[in-house]
Amino acid sequence: MSAEENNKTALNEFDQPVKGVSLWNDAWRRLKKNKMAMFGMYVVIFYILVSLFAPLLPIYSFKHQIIDHQFLPPSLTKTAGELYYERTEKLMLALANKEKRELNSEELAELEAVKVQIATETEVLNGKEVRIHERRYLFGTDYLGRDLLARVIYGGQISIAIGFIGTVTSVLIGIILGSIAGYVGGKVDYIIMRIVDVIYGLPYMMLVIIFMAIFGKNILNMFLALAIVSWLTVARVVRGQIMSLKNSEFVEAAKCGGAGTMRIIFKHLLPNTLGVIIVFSTLRIPTFIMLEAFLSFLGLGISAPLASWGSLVGQAVDGMNLYPWRLFFPAAAMTLFLFGMNFLGDGLRDAFDPQGKNRF
Amino acid sequence: MKRTLLLLLIMFIAAGALFAGGKKEAVKEEVDFLVWNQAEPQSLDWHQIEGVPEHRIYYSLGEGLVSSNPETAAPEPGVAESWEVDSTGLVYTFHLRKTTWSDGEPITAKTFVDSWLRVLNPETAAPYAWFPADVIAGAAEYNSGEAGPEAVKIRALDDYTFQVELVGAMPAIVSAFSHYAFAIVPIHAIEKNPGSWTQPENYVGNGPFVLEAWEPQEKLSVVKNDKYWDKANVKLDRVVYIPTDDDNVGFNMYLNKEVDWAPEVPLAQLETVVLRDDYVVAPYLGVYYYIFQMEKEPLTDVRVRKALSMGLDRDTLVKKVTGAGETAAYSMVPPMAGYKPTPGVKGTIEDAKKLLAEAGYPGGKGFPEIEILYNTSDRHLKIAEFVQEQWEKNLGIKCSLINQEWKTYLDTRKQGEFMVARAGWIADYPDPSSFLEMFGSGKAMNGGKYSNKVFDENMEAAAKMPPGPERFSKLRKAEDVFITEDHGVMPIYHYVSQSMIDTNVWGGWYPNSMDWHPTKYIYKK
Amino acid sequence: MTRYIIRRFIGLFPTLLIIITISFFIIRIAPGGPFDAEKTLPKQIMENIEKKYHLDEPLIKQYARYMISVMRGDLGPSYRYKDQDVNYYIGKSLPNSLVLGSIAMTLSLFLGITAGMISALRQNTWIDYLVMSIAVIGITIPLFVIGPVLVYIFAMKLGWLPTSGWITGRFGWVTIIMPVITLSADKFAYIARLSRASILEILRSDYIRTAKAKGLKTSTILIKHVLKGGLLPVVSYLGPAFSAILTGSIVVETVFRVPGLGKFFVQSALNRDYTLILGTVIVYSVILIIMNFIVDIIYAFLDPRISYK
Repeated sequence: MSAEENNKTALNEFDQPVKGVSLWNDAWRRLKKNKMAMFGMYVVIFYILVSLFAPLLPIYSFKHQIIDHQFLPPSLTKTAGELYYERTEKLMLALANKEKRELNSEELAELEAVKVQIATETEVLNGKEVRIHERRYLFGTDYLGRDLLARVIYGGQISIAIGFIGTVTSVLIGIILGSIAGYVGGKVDYIIMRIVDVIYGLPYMMLVIIFMAIFGKNILNMFLALAIVSWLTVARVVRGQIMSLKNSEFVEAAKCGGAGTMRIIFKHLLPNTLGVIIVFSTLRIPTFIMLEAFLSFLGLGISAPLASWGSLVGQAVDGMNLYPWRLFFPAAAMTLFLFGMNFLGDGLRDAFDPQGKNRF
Repeated sequence: MKRTLLLLLIMFIAAGALFAGGKKEAVKEEVDFLVWNQAEPQSLDWHQIEGVPEHRIYYSLGEGLVSSNPETAAPEPGVAESWEVDSTGLVYTFHLRKTTWSDGEPITAKTFVDSWLRVLNPETAAPYAWFPADVIAGAAEYNSGEAGPEAVKIRALDDYTFQVELVGAMPAIVSAFSHYAFAIVPIHAIEKNPGSWTQPENYVGNGPFVLEAWEPQEKLSVVKNDKYWDKANVKLDRVVYIPTDDDNVGFNMYLNKEVDWAPEVPLAQLETVVLRDDYVVAPYLGVYYYIFQMEKEPLTDVRVRKALSMGLDRDTLVKKVTGAGETAAYSMVPPMAGYKPTPGVKGTIEDAKKLLAEAGYPGGKGFPEIEILYNTSDRHLKIAEFVQEQWEKNLGIKCSLINQEWKTYLDTRKQGEFMVARAGWIADYPDPSSFLEMFGSGKAMNGGKYSNKVFDENMEAAAKMPPGPERFSKLRKAEDVFITEDHGVMPIYHYVSQSMIDTNVWGGWYPNSMDWHPTKYIYKK
Repeated sequence: MTRYIIRRFIGLFPTLLIIITISFFIIRIAPGGPFDAEKTLPKQIMENIEKKYHLDEPLIKQYARYMISVMRGDLGPSYRYKDQDVNYYIGKSLPNSLVLGSIAMTLSLFLGITAGMISALRQNTWIDYLVMSIAVIGITIPLFVIGPVLVYIFAMKLGWLPTSGWITGRFGWVTIIMPVITLSADKFAYIARLSRASILEILRSDYIRTAKAKGLKTSTILIKHVLKGGLLPVVSYLGPAFSAILTGSIVVETVFRVPGLGKFFVQSALNRDYTLILGTVIVYSVILIIMNFIVDIIYAFLDPRISYK
């Protein structure tokens, strides 16, 4: 209903930009009222800022290994050196305990050596001499002694990028094919829709595996592989929208004015479906992030030593009983972002489409 | 709609209660041994299998001329009671015991002839046919279709005497006959049910156990075979093989006492597992190594290869990254009885830097980016990340990691389209040649395209020699050339086999260098 | 209506044919073959194997051979599991997936619609926020985290349940609890959100206002009008979701050792078990098409606005 009403308004005014602005203003006003959506928006903005400015943040390298610092738990108060000492001592005691004895002189000497190492060892990083054992790991470290905080931030960068780029690619393909199918109709529509049916029928997991097997594994190929199998829903949605709009009066008016097919699609029809597309896209981003996570779980995701939330979580599941922080922080970071994205998406949908006409 | 759904749910629950109730009554005082078997078996036709999970089942369901000793993995009498070899060392005569298949059909020397001809028959397309084809005279010709079955030099002298003639004197050949590539299969049962003879209702075998049930992806269970010749010494009533390829799932099953033996431990759990009493670790005849692509710059330079090898701190790697008690490896061949492996390339980081500078890359300057290829696995990933950091830190060399799923990786490696590729090798039989022969010039496995005449000559000479110190010295010469002089591959560590089993409860299970554990001997204490 | 059903049914075959054909050729492009292993087989052995499975023939001939055998209802031998053919493995595993899938789907439908309705009726209260937060969490935590965490808590720590297994195994039906929960989590969440949104829409619509004005009882309005209309989007979600539950549950099947079909989808692709991949593709496509078909018919009954020529 709302779409028709909007169209009537648009016709009456005959002025696209003004109507556009009012649509956006309207939506913004409604969005601001939705508390959960606003919360979601702040979360998403925060994440994007952190990802963009990651290189400027005062964090350690995400790939630099200090093997002595492997599996250190998160701590606000203790330095890496203290935790490293505690861990070494704990492992020694456990071993001694198993063999039912006290720590022997060799082990005690080793502990002393660790103390000296912590007090004196330095490493040259980026041309500066750093006392590595005075580091603090807020999120703990992983199996090679890398800072988990840095890995979660850089992993977020990649996951978010995958979400956005995958969405943009798939939405673009979907818009083009969907609008052509919807507007031209007839045989073209039939063929495009059969293609959609066929690709729906092919299990996308298999396609992704084979795509990557054939074209090699890098991030770009992965985006493409994901996008190629996920434009289908967008195409359907856009096609439906275009079909419902193409007989409306403003299109007739444009036709009378001598506009060509492409011009009608891109100048008149698509702007009217923009709201739906934006909303759809925000809901699509989490899907891509989850898909990448699943591919990482299967070992088809991002290349090491780069990480994504998915690969961090996937690797951490293995030892979660021993090193729970390795699972908790990346999983929490990912969940919070997706949480924000979902509420923002819901809010945007309500804002652009208050009567809930278009649902996917 | 809602009501129908509710009805459905109730039906499911009711059915569930019924099934669950029915199952519980079948509890008896039997001794079951539950094994986490790492994969769904590909087949129970011993002429079609090629993996370790199937091998574990073979110990229960099949037996060849000889079986293997649970402590030493040395040959023990199986269907053959005794055997002798003639003075040339080429002709073996086996005296068979009078025993039968599980359906009562007798097993004779003819059974062996028929079965071995079946595995070699090109139409059987047995993946492991190369093993008999390599050792039995005339077998390769039959397998390639150049000659008929009569060319194969195996004979039934009488019903219970079986003779086999070898191509050359091969060490440990009798031990090899315990392998499933030399298994016997019930031809009469296969002819009766060609497509379904391995199903429980049709199954006929000659091992200590017979097939009871086989539910794909769920379990395979075997029960005691009444017709087995040594049934008095078989203690277990039932062995259940539970397949899962996820090591955490398998390991959790073990911790929760849902299986009795876990043949693997997840890398992430090692830190606490090594402290447990039921963790059994033993040296294993296997090596983990990186292959250099000999035809790609700058790896064509032996100094570069040696520098890369010296630039890796293997001791830290085995202590902190793999951590199960593996030993840092500098030789391809693990230490074996009578064979002292080559010393390999050892040196400090300073030595490595010097070699790199000599090769024209002082401090790693101008050195192209090295790619490390590995297949998807937690372990390979961790090792590759560690090596990457080491080379970058110690030698100033940039490197990138390429992860491919298994089949793509195999293909890339076979084509030689890599710079450095991860690989692992486990001996088919306990002999140094098993680790070396694949690196001969132009061999199918030699993806790194290593080629050296001296190596080839020594390997060929060794292949024709009878077992003994002289043969070992040839093999050692070959390994010296391959590893210490040319450094064609970079050995990283020698494997250990890891198992979780409570040896206070289960007897007859021993760690051994082949990781072979026949179920026949296992008993509950 | 009958004509529509028949037309849809006939239209199914060309789509299926194209899907099989594309899949057949695509999987052959992937590097590596079904018989590649760590130990490269000698040339002679490889030739024998390829001959046995007709892999040495030209691809077109193999395709023709395969299509003829599919027409006869025979999906061919598996290249990995050599004792039985693809029909056997699908026949064994599909029912298990169906059992697990339908229980999970039923559960998520019930809980999802109930939660969605509560949420919609109490829009913008703390109950609404709570329910929707739980639902969103269900969507945002990957299955491969939920599964192992459940195992860790209920099997390893509390010891209430076995770690894994299947209903036909020695632990019986308790083994299905955790897979059902894991599999339902995201479906529940999705259905809850869908039904909340559509019920909200209906509550605002004119005919509900009319019904209220006529003085109908609230419960009657809820059940007769709101729920019926609110189910529409859920129903259209069911088709793909149900098909996906059979294919997308490799994680659940791995973590809980469910002997289902989902594992074959990924494993057979990784193993290059060509016939098994194609078998699963065919099963999946047929289920998807039939499901969408059923959904369309249910839709027609629920929504009087749609008519079929």
